[in-house]
Amino acid sequence: MNRFTNEELMRKVQEGFIVESEEDMTDDYKKALIVQLTVQGDTELISAPAYFMAARDAPSANTMVSAVAIIQDELGHANIAYRLLEDLGVDRRWLLYEREPAKFKHPYGFDQPLENWAELVTANALYDRAGITLLGDVHRNTSYGPLKRGLAKVAMEENFHLRHGEVWIRRLAEAGSAGKDAVQRALDWMFPMGVEWFGMPDDRKHHNAQLDYRLKGMTNDQLRQTWLRAVVPLCEELGYDVPARSNSDTGEVELLYELPCQYDPEQRRWLFDETLTWKQVFDRWKQRGPMNQQYVESVRRSRFDVERLLAA
Amino acid sequence: MESERVYEVFARKQRQDRFQHVGTVTAPNRNLARVYAWQTYDEDKWFEMVVAPRDSFSAVNLFRFPFTVNESDLG
Repeated sequence: MNRFTNEELMRKVQEGFIVESEEDMTDDYKKALIVQLTVQGDTELISAPAYFMAARDAPSANTMVSAVAIIQDELGHANIAYRLLEDLGVDRRWLLYEREPAKFKHPYGFDQPLENWAELVTANALYDRAGITLLGDVHRNTSYGPLKRGLAKVAMEENFHLRHGEVWIRRLAEAGSAGKDAVQRALDWMFPMGVEWFGMPDDRKHHNAQLDYRLKGMTNDQLRQTWLRAVVPLCEELGYDVPARSNSDTGEVELLYELPCQYDPEQRRWLFDETLTWKQVFDRWKQRGPMNQQYVESVRRSRFDVERLLAA
Repeated sequence: MESERVYEVFARKQRQDRFQHVGTVTAPNRNLARVYAWQTYDEDKWFEMVVAPRDSFSAVNLFRFPFTVNESDLG
């Protein structure tokens, strides 16, 4: 028997009530929280093999140390989300080791190969910025106490990842020529990936359990705009081209293409003329990208080896 | 094979500080719990960190998860 009805709980959390255990939840609240935590955990987890793929291209010992430190943080963050899920009765072993790779819920952007140092630092600048935008909002607004506390560490560390990315894309911009071109090529496919990360626009999405239950505070469009307002002026300042511009009248950043549109993962190219429905975008996400299997395999391939040694 | 348990992690930044609850880890034994806690919750330079199995806690006034995992507490 739930302590509150959905309507009562919605009203209470909007007034600042903090949920501390399952007794305070309704089934719908718990369901929405589990989805949110799974997306969070999977995103942190799969960022690790994606970043590691590019970290092997680190140009020096120092850069390798920073890249691997970021990967270690991401795995720690994944562990925090999965631990919270485990306390909600979700089997962590199933989550990590038994789910079909295609059932993971991380963004499509992390199903792509990161092939060199410029792509790694651009990912730090764009994707870790998306992470801070989304999780910063959750940290400030979530009605779930254990998550609010867990995110204190995450917020601190994601800022370091973001700075790492921004410092490096600035450094490569200042170097000019081949260094700047490498970041520009990365931005060409990664910037629209970041835009799409925030999901369906508000006018298409009428009901949002995460907002109703105050599992987050801002809408998709507000979050996307927050990200754009951070990323686009930086790119403009550094002389990188991205398909968006700041509107000085409204203060908003506007996209210079129709969202959503098609992506060709083989060519790593956005087909801006080929507009899609959001249903088609969800289908593309569900099919997952080219590195999905390999990334998931890479975090689990030796998992049962030690168990077998200990059981022998 | 040892089964995994949940450990609660507490830490404080400076000697005069109170301990704060910084998170949880799962581990097959106490020594690995110490290692996992230190590696996972490395966001600060802690003066002191301790871990304890969740089921070693007894609720005092609020009988609900996570600290009410001992049936006997419900008495």
